[in-house]
Parts: sequence; C-alpha cells; structure tokens
Amino acid sequence: MPDLPLALHIPDGFLSGGVAGVAGLLAVAAVAVGLRVADRELDEARVPLLGVLAAFIFAVQMLNFPVAGGTSGHLLGATLAAVLLGPWIACLVMAVVLATQAFVFADGGISALGANVLNMGILGALLAGYLIRLAWPLLPKSRTALLAAVGVMSWLAVMVGAAATSAELAISGTIPLSTTLPAMLGVHALIGIGEAVITVTAVSAVLAVRPDLISLVDVGPLAGSEPAPLPARAEGVLS
Amino acid sequence: MGGLCNHALELTGPTGNLDSRVHRLDPRAKILGLITVTLVAVSAPLERWPAYVACAAVLVAYAIAAGVGPRALWRRLRVVLLLVLGVGVLVPFVRSGGARFEFGMLSVHQAGLEIFAAVAAKAIIGTTSAALLGATTTFPAVLRGLEALRVPRLLVLIAAFMYRYLFVIVEELARMRSALVSRGYRPRTALQAGAMGRVAGAMFLRTYGRGERVYLAMLARGYNGTMPQRVPLRLVGTDVAFVAGVALIVLTARLTTA
Repeated sequence: MPDLPLALHIPDGFLSGGVAGVAGLLAVAAVAVGLRVADRELDEARVPLLGVLAAFIFAVQMLNFPVAGGTSGHLLGATLAAVLLGPWIACLVMAVVLATQAFVFADGGISALGANVLNMGILGALLAGYLIRLAWPLLPKSRTALLAAVGVMSWLAVMVGAAATSAELAISGTIPLSTTLPAMLGVHALIGIGEAVITVTAVSAVLAVRPDLISLVDVGPLAGSEPAPLPARAEGVLS
Repeated sequence: MGGLCNHALELTGPTGNLDSRVHRLDPRAKILGLITVTLVAVSAPLERWPAYVACAAVLVAYAIAAGVGPRALWRRLRVVLLLVLGVGVLVPFVRSGGARFEFGMLSVHQAGLEIFAAVAAKAIIGTTSAALLGATTTFPAVLRGLEALRVPRLLVLIAAFMYRYLFVIVEELARMRSALVSRGYRPRTALQAGAMGRVAGAMFLRTYGRGERVYLAMLARGYNGTMPQRVPLRLVGTDVAFVAGVALIVLTARLTTA
C-alpha cells in the first residue's frame, strides 16, 4: 500500500467494553471541564472563532510527512492547539475534530471515540499545556526557551498518546503490550519528531507576527525575538 | 509525496437515492439506530457470532433501502478498512494460546485467529454503520440530531462552524502545499517537516483573521451568540418504528445463544 498515513485512530472492536467505557468517562469529564472553562473565559459570541480554529486543526492534521520505509505520519496538533488556545479549550476543539472524524469519515470507531479523544487530544493538550505552563516561570524569557519547551512537549505528547493506545489495546486483550509498545513507540518517536518540527515552526511563525495570540503563557517581550524573515512574507510566498 | 487526503473530503455527504425513506428519517432515529448496531456488534464476543450476522443484515437492508450501492460504500470504507484489517491481520501472529497452525515458516495460534475474526467483524460493522450514517444524513442534520440528543450546545456550535469553513481552509492548505511542491519541496525525513510548520503558522494567522472577519460580519447581521431557531425536529411513527425494529433484531440476535 503506497504512502498510507499512519494514524492512532482506534476502530470499533479493538477495545474491550471496560476500557472503552473508562476512556469514554475520562474524555467526557475533560470535555465537561473544558466547557466550564469556556463558559468562564470565553465570550459565547466568540464561538465562530473556535469553530474556524477547529477547522484549522482538522486541516493541519492532513499535513503528511515521511516517517520510514514509505509510510508517512501526520500532525496530531494537540500541543499546537494547547499553545494557541490554552489546554482546556484545546481539549474541546480536539474532541470536536475527532468526533467529526468518527461520525463523518468513519475514521476511528464510535465506540472507541472516548479513547481516541483521550489519546490524541486530551492527554497531549493537558500534558503539554500544563508542563509548559509550570516550566514557564523557571525558563529564561527567550524565544528559544519557549520554542524548545514546545518542541520537547509536542514530541512527548505524541509518545504518551502512543503509549496510552498500546496500553488500552493490551488491557483489552487485543494485542499484548510486549508487541505493541516497542512498535508504537518506535514509529511514534519518528512521528513525534515531525510533530515537534512542525509545531515549533508554526509557533515561531505566530510568535513573530502575533505574539498576543499565544494563549498558553503570557509571552510578553521575549529576548531574541528579532523579526523572522519568513512568516511576515509567508502569505505572499506560499500562495 | 504524501497526498493531502487522509480524509477524502469529496467522499462525504449524502449519496444514493437522496429521497429514499431512509434519507428522510429523523437524524436522531438514524444516529440511535446505527449506534445501537455498532454497540451490539462491539459488545458481542465471538461465540455470539449470530449478532454479527444480524448487524450486518440490518446494515445491508439499510444500504439497499437508501439506494447506496456497494461501489459507493466501498469507496468510503476503503481507506479506513484496509488500514484496520492490515493491523488486524498481525494479531494472530503475536497472540499465543490454543491450537497452533503452521504455514511454512509462519505459525499462528487459535486464540489469535479468534481475536482477529472478532476484531475484523466488529471493525467492519462499526465502520460501515458510520459510513452509512454519513451517506444518508447531511452533516448539519447529524449535528441537529446530536443537539436534540442533548450533546452540549457549545460543542455542536463549534462543530457547525468548523464544518462550514473546513472545505475553504483545506483547499487553502492544499494550495500552499502545491506551492511548496512546485518549488521542489520533497521531504525525505521527518526532520525536514519545517516548511510545513511555516505553512501551518501562516495558515493559523490567516484562519484567525478569517475567524475574526466572520465574527464581525455576523455581528453586523445581528448575531448575539445564539443561532436563529429552525423548524424543530419531529419524530414520527416511522422513526420510532425504525429504531425499535433495528434494536429488536440486533438485541434478539445478541441475547440468543448460537
């Protein structure tokens, strides 16, 4: 099969009822918190903006990059969403994107939706979001430090998602952990590199032009943020 | 070069006989009916295989009534199903237990084969029922159904706006992608994905700008945070009969032993 994109979407039937149920409850709980945060922090009239940004995440998930041996990986975007929207709003947006993929594109089983939202959205968005937020006061206030943190966390978010997927499949009794974990972590170590490279460049482009749109941390004036040549001209160059 | 088509967007939306009785069912009835089929199949162990047969029969009847032919259905299932079965086929080689079968150098175990059979049946039924929902119901109708089924309104609103702009944004991204390709961008390793990051950054800024413009245009047209009321959904006898009939068939098959 030429160039099939590797994805973590778990289909129907791979998870036991218990695992799917627990993952579903965790996902519902995180989405409920996300809804409360949105209620508190977000003017309801700004919802169209969230919708358009969900479409953005959906679209950038189609960015494929080569991994190894003719396979390709694609961006998951949980860390990117967390940096741009904050961890909880990112959970909401990722849940909407993944639910749409399940309902409209039959990608990822409806019975495994909770697990997919957990693995590919919530775990990454919360882990990356909160660790970057916690580390931010300790980091030097420079562009490089923020981008390094974003890079490391986006790699880690992919690995954690892959590990969670393997664990869920193993607990369900579908595929033993000794088989999936090394394979999943091996492939996703490479996918994570692509994810980190794309996320870092994307955040750096936003940082250069509209640093006020980074919601995760208050970036303020950063050392070393001399205008990067590309982003400002990117629109003209790339269209 | 990786195409821009994990999700073939052109393969969405209703198809088949658009005026069929199935297409005209209330979206809630279709969502509930098809989710019941999926959940029954997923919950059935291999010994209860008649449940798989019943679910498959219901889906076949549904597709025939909706005029969705095998060719149209396969076009939608192909991408997902080939990947799923590709992974599933590995299972018999890595699970041990039960009788052992030798095929030359390869050996598979009965336990693995059983898991593969169950997983494949469930994945095919689940994927087909989601594809049939998409083939017989427009996305806005699915959203109205979900809203009526008490999915939080904020999520439904986000999804509605997402869908409205998805196609524009995906096409914009595809244009940027072809601009990269036409300038000789051929990444061979994940480390060379940086250019796509710049595309994503530029996309975000454009998208944000578009979102703000959309929002302001909506304000100018009197938007105050709520969407105008539409004609409410109405469940009629056919809808109730459809859900009850589907549930009766698949649950009976699930609960009777083979």
